[in-house]
Amino acid sequence: MHKILVANRGEIAVRVLRACRDLGLASVAVYSACDRTARHVRLADEACAIGPNAPSESYLNIDRLLDAARRTGADAVHPGYGFLAENAQFAAACRDAGLTFIGPTPEAIALMGSKTEARRAAIAANIPVVPGTEQPFAPGDPDDAIAAAAGRIGYPLLIKAVAGGGGKGMRTVTKAADLPGAIRAARSEAGTAFGDSAIYLERRLTRPRHIEVQLLGDQHGRVLPFVERECSIQRRHQKVIEETPSPVVTPAFRAYLLEAAAAVARAVGYTGAGTIEFLVDEEHRCWFLEMNTRLQVEHPITEMVTGIDLVEWQLRIARGEKLDLDPVLANTPDGHAIECRIYAEDPDTGFIPSPGRISVLRAAAGPWIREDGGAESGGEVPVYYDPLISKLCAWGPDRPHAIARMSRALREYEVLGVQTTVPFFRWMLAQPAFLAAAFHTGYLDELLQQRGGEPFATADKDEEEAAAIGAALHVMSGRGPSVADPGRSAPPERQRTLPVGKVGWKARARAEALRP
Amino acid sequence: MTFELETGGTTRHIEQRGAQLFLDGRQVDVDAVKAGPAWSILVGHRSYELFLAERGPGELIAHVNGRAVTVRGGPQRFGSRRARTGGTAREAAAHGPGRVAAPMPGRIARVLVRVGDRVTAQQGLVVVEAMKMENELRSPRAGIVTEIRATEGALVEANAVLIVLE
Repeated sequence: MHKILVANRGEIAVRVLRACRDLGLASVAVYSACDRTARHVRLADEACAIGPNAPSESYLNIDRLLDAARRTGADAVHPGYGFLAENAQFAAACRDAGLTFIGPTPEAIALMGSKTEARRAAIAANIPVVPGTEQPFAPGDPDDAIAAAAGRIGYPLLIKAVAGGGGKGMRTVTKAADLPGAIRAARSEAGTAFGDSAIYLERRLTRPRHIEVQLLGDQHGRVLPFVERECSIQRRHQKVIEETPSPVVTPAFRAYLLEAAAAVARAVGYTGAGTIEFLVDEEHRCWFLEMNTRLQVEHPITEMVTGIDLVEWQLRIARGEKLDLDPVLANTPDGHAIECRIYAEDPDTGFIPSPGRISVLRAAAGPWIREDGGAESGGEVPVYYDPLISKLCAWGPDRPHAIARMSRALREYEVLGVQTTVPFFRWMLAQPAFLAAAFHTGYLDELLQQRGGEPFATADKDEEEAAAIGAALHVMSGRGPSVADPGRSAPPERQRTLPVGKVGWKARARAEALRP
Repeated sequence: MTFELETGGTTRHIEQRGAQLFLDGRQVDVDAVKAGPAWSILVGHRSYELFLAERGPGELIAHVNGRAVTVRGGPQRFGSRRARTGGTAREAAAHGPGRVAAPMPGRIARVLVRVGDRVTAQQGLVVVEAMKMENELRSPRAGIVTEIRATEGALVEANAVLIVLE
């Protein structure tokens, strides 16, 4: 394995390309038409065009990706997350083309990718699953058959897509009368998103937490579970904030969770990075939810509390290395880490995507902050793809420290040109229930419902006055002509003092100096 | 030079007289310097970092210490030399009659209102499917739906007006 083709874009392509460089491996980026100038293209050793903007004609097009690998002489493919990362056909096509697929085998992807098959695998490994239907309902199955199964499970329940993920094709049903409409909606969304409208039913637990276990499996039969991540802060079933360790998991419960996750992974001969998701109720009872057969978006927080580079290990496992890490390193958290997913979405209009040109982007940095981003000043957030701009992570010796550092970083994070979820996170991190870690997967949706359409950030009077003063000065400075204060020691080339009358601002002004 | 600027629903009067700056008639001690893309503004000793972006005719968006403030008006209209592209439904509807536009290309999944409906601010109007997700476009303000240009199932371009409010 010498040259890795990264079959993705945005921040995750950047993350993988950096790992390649760390390991001294050559890298190939791929790009659609609108991504020609994207950051991942410039970071890679080589880059290859793979087609037009539509994902189906570029990042989801297996033939074009394999062709790019052939043309550049790449011998391995990293799929990132999303796009083809959990597509068994793609993993198999890579293998057939003689390329190393950096991930699990096509067989493991296919098995765990089917939510109903995955549930059976968990049951076989003696891990409880959320009560639901063990057989999927095919597109043609009549509503009465589904209604009968729904009656046995009981309401409220969830309709889920067999091929699902990311909350797509999922509907909550609270009473029998709403079932037919919800079935139609879930099927239609699943069909669009996954090309498969098969569904199944699952009981909806009351106020559960979403807790997941990252793991790595090597090609020599070893499976290593990592300290759990808490991902209960979700909006419409999509994770928004993740943290590790979970504030509610005790060492004994952790030992149980990690062993349960490892058992499921071992049962299917899992290799590479993967994550087992559980729902946990208030009594610490837990149920297997599903397995993600890829690197997770939120992997950086695990790296921050364990010091283990998960992407580097994906590459090393793929080239056959033994996973010779000390299990204690992986399962014992050092401090606390938290991640905010910063999206180009407008939180004040119901989180509608806000694509466009980023005029200014100043990412946060500083002590114990990690920023994984793919966007930059002058760049575009295209309308064609997921509008994730950046993953902002903070570490602290404990949860309050991590939250304080995250709040500081969010205050420094500046994006102009597109709306982002930064103001929402600043607000969220100050919520009493969040600070007390008293939340569940429905908490954020309930909270947003309660507050109606109130704006997330309200400036105080002093800030509004400063804005008015700044706007006035901006207009007076006219963007071209400027007035410099001779009393101040600016470098000569910046002292382009102009006739005072032009902007009506006295040159001898002490404090009001305007410079370009 | 005098400015009438509106921020946070309050009109503020800014006057520059010689070397002095007056805000609503009271003199303020201001030191403002452009620092890269930002402005550093010292009011007395209090430090503000300001990023300014043009948002539409006569409208600026200022990020003050990380908080967004919309600034409107003034003797010179700012921001008129460049037409905005993209933008959110809220922005599209901020001026003129209430027009709710598609923030991105997509497919109309559902129309939630009818002509003549009285809607409240933040009420869902249209569901647009884009980026594989269903996005609910909400009303920027209260009003009456006077026109619906969205048809369920139709593909729309970014900025296409979908709903007109009175």
